Amino acid sequence: MSGKFDIVGLVRKVIFSDFARGLAITLKYNVSRSITLKYPDDEKWVPYVRFRGAHTLNRDPSGKELCVACELCAKACPTKCITVIPEEDDTGRGIADRVAKVWKVDLVRCMFCGFCEDACPTRAIRLGREYELACTDISSTVRFKDALLKPQPIHEGIAGGVVAKARFEKTEAGIRVVADTGIIKKRAL
Amino acid sequence: MVTVKINGKEITVADNTLILEAARDAGCEVPTFCYQADLMGLGSCRMCLVEIEGQKKLQPSCITPVLHGMSILTDSSTVTAARAGVLEFLLANHAMDCPVCDKAGECELQDMVYKYGPAKGAHAETKFKFHEKDYVLSPVIIKNSNRCVQCTKCVRVCREVVGVGVLGSVGRGDHQEETSFLKGLLDCDQDGNCIEVCPVGCFMRLPYRYKARQWDLKSADTVCPYCATGCRMVIEERDGVVVRARAQHGVGVNSETLCSRGRFGFDFIGNAERLTTPLVRKDGVLVPSTWEEAVAVIKENLSAFEGSRIGGVASPRLTNEELYLFQKLFREVLGSPNVDSSARWDSSGVEAFIKAAGMNEGGVSVFDCMDSDAVFIIGSQVSEENPVTDYIIRRISSGRRMNLVIASPRAMKLDSSAQTVVRHNPATEGALLKAIILTLNENKLSVSAGINAIKETKLTDCVASSGVSLEVIKRIADGLKNAESISILVGTEFLRFPEGIDGLDLLKDVCRKSLGKKLRILPLLDRCNQRGAWEMGVHPGFGTGYRAIAGRGMGTHAMLEAATRRGLDAMYVAGVDIASMYPDAGHAREALSALKFLVVQDMFLTDTTRLADVVLPSSAFAEKDGAFTNQEGRVQTIARLKNPPGKAKRDGDIIRAIGQSFERSFGPDNASLVFDEIRREAEMYKEVSLVFNNKRNIDNKLDNKEALVKASSALARGFSAWNGGAPSSEETGDYPFTLMTGNHLFHSGALSSNSASLSGLLRAAVVEISNEDADEMGVKSGSLVRVKGMTHESDMKVIVRRGSKKGVAFIAENFADTPVNRFFSRGRSGARVSITRLG
Ligand code: SF4
Ligand code: SF4
Ligand code: SF4
Ligand code: SF4
Ligand code: SF4
Ligand code: FES
Repeated sequence: MSGKFDIVGLVRKVIFSDFARGLAITLKYNVSRSITLKYPDDEKWVPYVRFRGAHTLNRDPSGKELCVACELCAKACPTKCITVIPEEDDTGRGIADRVAKVWKVDLVRCMFCGFCEDACPTRAIRLGREYELACTDISSTVRFKDALLKPQPIHEGIAGGVVAKARFEKTEAGIRVVADTGIIKKRAL
Repeated sequence: MVTVKINGKEITVADNTLILEAARDAGCEVPTFCYQADLMGLGSCRMCLVEIEGQKKLQPSCITPVLHGMSILTDSSTVTAARAGVLEFLLANHAMDCPVCDKAGECELQDMVYKYGPAKGAHAETKFKFHEKDYVLSPVIIKNSNRCVQCTKCVRVCREVVGVGVLGSVGRGDHQEETSFLKGLLDCDQDGNCIEVCPVGCFMRLPYRYKARQWDLKSADTVCPYCATGCRMVIEERDGVVVRARAQHGVGVNSETLCSRGRFGFDFIGNAERLTTPLVRKDGVLVPSTWEEAVAVIKENLSAFEGSRIGGVASPRLTNEELYLFQKLFREVLGSPNVDSSARWDSSGVEAFIKAAGMNEGGVSVFDCMDSDAVFIIGSQVSEENPVTDYIIRRISSGRRMNLVIASPRAMKLDSSAQTVVRHNPATEGALLKAIILTLNENKLSVSAGINAIKETKLTDCVASSGVSLEVIKRIADGLKNAESISILVGTEFLRFPEGIDGLDLLKDVCRKSLGKKLRILPLLDRCNQRGAWEMGVHPGFGTGYRAIAGRGMGTHAMLEAATRRGLDAMYVAGVDIASMYPDAGHAREALSALKFLVVQDMFLTDTTRLADVVLPSSAFAEKDGAFTNQEGRVQTIARLKNPPGKAKRDGDIIRAIGQSFERSFGPDNASLVFDEIRREAEMYKEVSLVFNNKRNIDNKLDNKEALVKASSALARGFSAWNGGAPSSEETGDYPFTLMTGNHLFHSGALSSNSASLSGLLRAAVVEISNEDADEMGVKSGSLVRVKGMTHESDMKVIVRRGSKKGVAFIAENFADTPVNRFFSRGRSGARVSITRLG
């Protein structure tokens, strides 16, 4: 510390200049557009297509399972959280006579890297836009084929990057927050 | 020797070496599709092109031999461009459905394209397709021709190695399809060697279809548990279920080949019928119990009996270690000399067989045998009992001049490779051999004691009883006389009819001593560890390493005999289904029921376990560590892949637990310590090397002589020659057929009937007769007939075999619903039956 007397500093303190500057920021945000969402009561964020959330298995336009159980996703997965067991079924269930008997993913171990999606030759596996994965029962984090084949609420056609109107919906599994994509607000981040 | 330069490196190789092999010797990689060392050279795929300096055109290295002074380039830019070009053309019509293809992950085409291929193909035309859907070629083979690279390895292996030749190439160029006649179902050996050699996903295993990817599998190096050829294989499991068995090129005597039993017969391991918990009989019924209780019950009951009134039979499919412990338990703990390893033949002929087959002289490699000028196969249906031995014989005999003689009542696949085929009457191997010896002796060989003994035998009698013409016998004798080195391959018929062993022993002496030939004898056995069982001393007449023991115990036959006379109180049977394998079913049941206490250790509920007081669930080969000794005397290890189901235990652990209930120190504690003890106990095993493994590498020779057992000097007392009576001649009137039994190509003992794949190939017993008889009776393969013997009759389908001896009927021994042993009865060697057409 130098022995010099800090006259400028003293003046600033006397006129509360720091305080005023802080207050100015608060006031500015008070009148600017808010970036927080009223989630879950009123609003819910619909992510972009590139978002990597919980897995979903797709079907082709005629409803056939796209997955041919090649196991490439399981091989590519760095955390080894996907298990695929193939079987033969030529009833037209899938696009080939090789279909998955078991397709399961352990979401707790998944790190949402999307390698599985990149590895898939038929674009069967996609990381969807479901991100509410908190649960009280750990076993529900292992998802099986039947559940994964059900389309997720936000389908691929929706571009995302918007805030939608949130609704509560009572299901057997508990209360869920549903985004009503009919009522959306564009919102720049 | 010639010297060539490969990529600038000088290397000296033998004349006529292929450029490909020279390059590989020099450590240069050359990719191939259609080349396979053991198959006829073809040079069709052009993957192996190399540049020879001074020649404009690239040459296929797999069919071009080296010339002195050649300078060869294996990775010049021309060569790499050519490789990429070849691959681009292969892919032009290739299905490229890797995600669906079962081969993906271990596909040679994938690997090659990844390494040498063009990143992009220029072909934009629509791909040519042979068919839309994969088609089934047999209960174990499925095919997709759209993935074919036209290497024709499948066709060549089927014709040159397996010897059935049911595959062929149809069409030309990229429309060439390797398939069966009119794409129909294959009536073949179903061994799947076409699958193994196919570099791509054309030929595929049906039982393994869409089960897993290669990277899902956990594997273990093991040895086939069926016959004693001792094929090396790798078994692989996914999630605790063994899904595949495969062989590897250049590993084990079998190299890449296996037979149907080896390749598809492993699925008994995962059979849902496996016993998983010990059972103890309470109030007349077997109820689930605990190991503690079961062992306590065994201890309590066995201690009540005198050692000599307890008998033990252990399966020749157990490991050496387990068999060693088994006989140790009997001899040292229970104080019983009564141990045996087979229910199918009497143990009294075994010593003579061991001596005659020279098993005490140490191991004999099958490849050395095939190096001889003359090879004589007798007493074995080798094509069916030891299929891979058949492949080895076929492959080698087609490659060099040799005199192959096959003597058997039944026709077999290998006949086509033989110079002389002899059809003798069943059970007359001895007469045939004596006739040969007498013919050899015609011009006064130095007369040995043995020959004196048969001097009285008239050549004409021998000729008459064997049913072979004198001319053929002369031809065989001449063949033996003209050969410098001779190999005799002897089969299990000598154990079923030990009367013949004498002749074998004598022929050995005559060839060696009187004629001064170099002679090798190789036993052909039908259980994976039969030789090991004997060498571990599981036999009433000798101990570990053929060591002499004080006092002969009872063999299986004697035990059952004693049991009916109340001369035996208890038996411990490990893995043998005596009730359905003993030749005289009624007697076996009666004897086993007469016992005061019967312990049976098995994987399945068999006829024998149903009679037991205590049933102990045991393990399959995939569930334990240990070693088998194959027919050549090669000691090969098996490794554990998975754990036994439920509460089942490894056989060795069960034997140890029983032993320890008597003596706390009974052991040793694990397989490798037991093997150390075997090394100390049996001189033959002292220096045997177990280090050979299934890793594919260029030093792995097929013929690993380090693993052969050494000679044993323990046979001090000398095994007596067989001195049982001659076969009783019988009236043939009502029963014109002599019934033979043994193993079917798809089956071997009770084990194989628990395999779904093998049962799918042949579900029920069939009776096989010659075409002559069939024509006389007016039946065709598939007709229903009634087979009637003195003690039993049964209806079954008939299979006609062209070229078999007239008057011979064959039924495989393993079918539970057609127990062939019901046709046999004690005191008569062989059985006679009549066959009548139904409908
Ligand atoms: S996102 Fe990554 S970690 Fe998750 S399943 Fe796919 S590959 Fe595995
Ligand atoms: S999801 Fe895709 S990568 Fe995974 S097994 Fe199915 S087809 Fe293969
Ligand atoms: S054969 Fe090989 S390259 Fe062809 S589809 Fe099968 S895995 Fe792919
Ligand atoms: S089926 Fe397989 S082994 Fe046979 S020619 Fe085609 S690629 Fe070669
Ligand atoms: S030949 Fe014998 S050892 Fe070889 S695979 Fe066949 S049954 Fe097994
Ligand atoms: S490997 Fe030489 S041409 Fe096929």
